[in-house]
Amino acid sequence: MIDEQTQDLVLQYLLGELDAPQMENVRAQIESDPELRTFANEMEETLGSLAYAAKPVAAPPDIPQRILRAEGRSVQPAPKPPRSRIVALNLLPWALAACLAIACVILGLDRQRVRKGLSKELAARRQTNAQTSDALAQLQQRSAASEKEIASFREKSADLEKQLAALQEKDAEALKELAALKQKAAEDEQAVAALTQKDAESQKELAALKQKNLLSEIKIATLKAQVAKFQQANAVVVWDTDQRNGVLQLDKLPPPAPGKDYQLWVIDPSKPLPVSAGVLSVPSVGLIRTSFQPVQPVQSAAAFAISLEKSGGSMKPEGQIIFIGK
Amino acid sequence: MPRLADDPESKFEVSLISRIADGDESAFAALYQRLSSSLYGLAYRMMNDAKEAEDVLQEGFTYIWRKAGSYDPTRSTPFAWAVMIVRNKAIDRLRVRQRGERLRERVEQSVGPERDESSAEEPALRERSAIVRSALEQIPREQREALELAFFGDLTHEEIADRLTTPLGTIKARIRRGLLKLREFLQEET
Repeated sequence: MIDEQTQDLVLQYLLGELDAPQMENVRAQIESDPELRTFANEMEETLGSLAYAAKPVAAPPDIPQRILRAEGRSVQPAPKPPRSRIVALNLLPWALAACLAIACVILGLDRQRVRKGLSKELAARRQTNAQTSDALAQLQQRSAASEKEIASFREKSADLEKQLAALQEKDAEALKELAALKQKAAEDEQAVAALTQKDAESQKELAALKQKNLLSEIKIATLKAQVAKFQQANAVVVWDTDQRNGVLQLDKLPPPAPGKDYQLWVIDPSKPLPVSAGVLSVPSVGLIRTSFQPVQPVQSAAAFAISLEKSGGSMKPEGQIIFIGK
Repeated sequence: MPRLADDPESKFEVSLISRIADGDESAFAALYQRLSSSLYGLAYRMMNDAKEAEDVLQEGFTYIWRKAGSYDPTRSTPFAWAVMIVRNKAIDRLRVRQRGERLRERVEQSVGPERDESSAEEPALRERSAIVRSALEQIPREQREALELAFFGDLTHEEIADRLTTPLGTIKARIRRGLLKLREFLQEET
């Protein structure tokens, strides 16, 4: 395979563009390389054929004679055909006359036949000529149509080439855009990954905060016995400030005397009286856990108390307070 | 190609050159008769002057007469060999006289001399000319233009690049591709 640079050099060599040392160098390369020699020969042949593109012109006819004279050659005029020597024979005129007479007879007989034949042939040739003319006209017509078609195809071809060039340009632009989009997508993916990680951390933080918040909404109050009799007993309230309800756990509290009930109270500073959280059912000494909800909405549960009320409870604390705490 | 070394016409011309090498004047006249109209047309297109074209043709055929023995039929056809000889003679004259741009512009006009040209085109020659012209028309215009400036206008690649205000590399590529395509088309035609 001959590279393009070497091909160009060979063409410059053939066109006579190189200086003497370069010419010699290229000539040596061509001589030593069979492939290059073949290429150079083909190119020389092709260049030679370009001469056909120049319009041929009738050249002066005497140039060969001028050259040969200048080269010291004795230019001979074209030899004339030698004259035939006719041997004069005495019998020759008689023989000729006899031959002529015989020939006249034969020709006379043959003339009629030849005339008929010629007439037929002439008619046939006329017909052939007419057919040929028709065919020629058709061919010319076809040729004109073909030329038009060729011109049209060329035009179309040029248009298609233009379109192709435009498409190639668009394609190149699209490829650039695609590359840019890919780059951006990669960057976005990285950003998404970073955000996802950050989100996970935020979720963790949020969960921690929620946990912390949940705990902050829970209030635990240990109630203290106000009467010596109940010193052994324990009472603890777990209050949910958000839900505004709670759980009371009692232990070792003896059942109330007949006709009495324990009643739980929530003390809200915004209200003039403690709010009842219901009568407690204490059937026996032991661990009791019961949930409760004040009978009125409570803004803030500042403290909790248990009193000993008449059976069924009271609207406000009337009996003895036996436990209180906050 | 219009003339391959093994086509009958080329073979005949090879035999003429061989006879010329032996000093056969009639062979010389016959070769002149076969090639002179194309070669004179080429010389005229390059020189744009009938007298100078005639001188070029005479110098070219003088060279052929003297150097017929150096012709190598394995390298090129007689026609291509003769074309390159006549072209070189024309280039020598153009360069010696240094006519420069003015002359080259005239060369491009490619107007023939006021002569009866019909007799110059034999049927075979007319056919070959038609094939080459048709092949040239199939080459893109830029390539054809560069090729013709290089071949007929005796412009170097650099000069063509300057004239067409086109990079040198592009001109080289146009000439190379143009010739390769021309070869391809001519091979298809034959």
